[in-house]
Amino acid sequence: MPAPTTVASTAPDDRRTDTPAIEVRGLTFRYPGAAQDSLHDVGLTIEPGDFVAVVGGNGSGKTTLCKAFNGLVPHFWNGDITGRVRVHGRSTARRTVGEIAHDVGYVFQDFGNQLVRPTVRGDVSFGPLNFGHEDWADRTDRALADLGLSDIAETHTWQLSGGQQHLTALAGALALAPSVLVVDEPAAEVDPRRAAVVYDHLTRLNQEQGITVVVIEHHAELIARYARSVVLMSGGRVRWHLPVREALARREDLADAHVPDPPVVALGRALVAEVDRGERPVPITVDECVDLLRSVVRAAPDASAVAEPAPSGAMPRARRRGALVARMVGVEHGYRTVSGDRHTVLQGLDLDLHDGDRVALVGSNGAGKSTLLSVLAGLAVPRAGAVEVDGRDTRSVSAATLADTVCYLMQRPEEMFLQDSVRADVAMHPHGRGLPDADALVERVLDRVDLTRLADRDGRLLSGGQQRRSTLAIGLAMRPRLLLLDEPTSSLDLRSRDDVIGMLEALSDHIRCTVVATHDMHLVAEWASRVVVLDHGQVIADTDPRTLFSSPDVLERARLVSPQVAQVGAALALPELPLTVDELVRQVRTIEELA
Amino acid sequence: MTSVVTTPPRTTGADGRRDPRTTGRKNSSRSGFDRVTVEWVKLELVRVAYATRGGFLARRDPRAVLGWYLVCALAPWLTYSTPALAVFFVLSLACALAARIGPLLLGLFSLGLLGQAAYVLVLVLVLGGSPAAVDGLVQISLKLGAISLVSMAAFVSLDPEKLSDGLQALRAPAVLGFGVSYGYRMVPMLIDEFQTIVDGHRMRGAPHCGHGFLGWRTAARVGRIAVQAFYPLILNTAQRTRTTVEALETRGFSLTGSDDPGRRLRLAHLRFTVADAALLLVTLTIVVVTLAVL
Repeated sequence: MPAPTTVASTAPDDRRTDTPAIEVRGLTFRYPGAAQDSLHDVGLTIEPGDFVAVVGGNGSGKTTLCKAFNGLVPHFWNGDITGRVRVHGRSTARRTVGEIAHDVGYVFQDFGNQLVRPTVRGDVSFGPLNFGHEDWADRTDRALADLGLSDIAETHTWQLSGGQQHLTALAGALALAPSVLVVDEPAAEVDPRRAAVVYDHLTRLNQEQGITVVVIEHHAELIARYARSVVLMSGGRVRWHLPVREALARREDLADAHVPDPPVVALGRALVAEVDRGERPVPITVDECVDLLRSVVRAAPDASAVAEPAPSGAMPRARRRGALVARMVGVEHGYRTVSGDRHTVLQGLDLDLHDGDRVALVGSNGAGKSTLLSVLAGLAVPRAGAVEVDGRDTRSVSAATLADTVCYLMQRPEEMFLQDSVRADVAMHPHGRGLPDADALVERVLDRVDLTRLADRDGRLLSGGQQRRSTLAIGLAMRPRLLLLDEPTSSLDLRSRDDVIGMLEALSDHIRCTVVATHDMHLVAEWASRVVVLDHGQVIADTDPRTLFSSPDVLERARLVSPQVAQVGAALALPELPLTVDELVRQVRTIEELA
Repeated sequence: MTSVVTTPPRTTGADGRRDPRTTGRKNSSRSGFDRVTVEWVKLELVRVAYATRGGFLARRDPRAVLGWYLVCALAPWLTYSTPALAVFFVLSLACALAARIGPLLLGLFSLGLLGQAAYVLVLVLVLGGSPAAVDGLVQISLKLGAISLVSMAAFVSLDPEKLSDGLQALRAPAVLGFGVSYGYRMVPMLIDEFQTIVDGHRMRGAPHCGHGFLGWRTAARVGRIAVQAFYPLILNTAQRTRTTVEALETRGFSLTGSDDPGRRLRLAHLRFTVADAALLLVTLTIVVVTLAVL
């Protein structure tokens, strides 16, 4: 048992000693029953007060390494282990997980399952109470105040949004006053804006209280913005541990780990030769990139001279529309809360969807995106107003009948797996309808998404990207006219994400209209032909991506952040707002030639 | 402690009742899960589990509530007098209503009790039973009814935190207290999971083809979906709990075994007041008097 300590005495200065916060020497670990080592001869030193991002591909051992920091490896996972892990100079081998938890706080990737008590306060005080700290109430209040959770302390944890749940899990770890915090993929399950909130809190804890922060992360933009050093893992080894700027300059190593250049780094490389040759440091923020590129785009000539047509073509709002696929008129919908009040999610919403539309539905959490999709799919019938899909009122047909025209793919892929193999899940709809060529159709679809090899496995056991492809296959086999996707790219690493975007691109010839609810502005920029912005259950803008990203007031109101490329383009006052790195580079080249 | 949000007693406040889809639209071909509002059932269960309706027992110390429950649940077994049982039943019903058990539980309870009594009665009459058999039937129904009602009244009034604190204060193993509160935490999660799976079946399963005689097709479809939902439900839940087990380790739960350092701290807020004692005393007196007089 650690002696009960008081929170007030954990001043940051006590920790600024020469002993490394975490020291790993010759660590090799193999999970029981595994065929190969998950960690192999790992050596790593993390200094106190550092902000470290651990990157690496799937299966590179990131999570296992981080679980060695807090003693879950080897105390909970009893595999074969050699080597040593020291936290503040004390070996983890002879201490219990509970003792180490006072030095190393851990927030899991699926943080929602880390919460075990009904209320926020109850959950945060769970640790301090278990360890018998007399000052548990103070610790709880402090952790809640530190993360701005005091107002929702009495709320039930199942009522919280994803971002609030994450902060609650973080507070539960903080209540033990650890000097090291490990956070596994803070951006995986929440939208970028909310991930930034978590990162801002981590940064403050790091700077004000001297807490050493270790995150597992694959969003290069977040790494560039928040981390001070980067650890690259591959094949169970630490390849290197470098300051963030040097780390981001190692393009090939990062590409191997599926961490592609952040757009600002790519822009710097493409447009400034010295950066590409490694003679100048890479820019890692939008401001640095703009400063760097100003030297190139010195004299932007008359804008009209450069008004070359953008490759995708600026989409005029009043372009010809295809036939009507779905129509929502004056739709109002909501739900009743536990206390009995009615919470209105959609109000007076009008929306027409046409043949050939590639619609991105954007807006902050709680703006009504998922509700809109489930109303369109006929899973819910609006309280007022009418929803017509393919000429049929959703009130007059059952959800199952409507499913012949509309397919709704839910946010979490594992929710779509109702059978015991991917093939059975894909076949469920065609077989239920008794289609004569159902089996051939299923095989064709599986082949299309490259899952034939995995078709007999249970969908729940696949990786994130494979699960997402399976749900797309389920959707394809339903042969819908209207395809609705809820957050298809969330919690995917960047390569799987690009796979999904590519697949959406390929679907366009089969499906008449696709609606994607998303927080991913890169997906909006790269894929959508039309963006519908929702705020408090109403459409506040219905336009194309380029117009959206050049409308600061709409972005502000819907709490959206434009992609880095668009931000750089806007700061450079380019004649047309670029949406991709290629577009920006092309415009700058044109300006250079004209100059 | 949970904030107890008191809502006015609501017997028709269900979302579904005022919803256009259940107000008997003639052209509606929606049926089965398309009509039943899982949403309403979910809200009811959550209200029941988290004691959000308040009621006279919700304000009492959990130990007093458990004690009250023990007395009330044992009393009906100590008598064979029909009038005494009738008194117990009426009092239990009053307590259950005062504890605001809500329409869902009350409906299920009435359905169960009356349904069972009815079929046993038919059985007794068909097999040539005597009036004495009917009396026995009334007795057992009253006994079971009274016990069910006080159980509902007690557990509707204890939110998970209170219940686990109460159990721990009475020296129940810590794992039991935790299990209870974690079980409660899982309730909304399981319902959500179930609803999603049902939605999946609604969208992707075979469409229904008419209700059939007495709606047997609809009943069969609903039944089949409920059974098929079991496997994904359990697997998805099992996957979630892997992290929970690791998290419990890091949060010191394994220390709550033999000499639990947190027990005293956790229970320090419990106060057994005069009102709690009065509740127990009054209940005991009523029980003893009823048993003695009737």
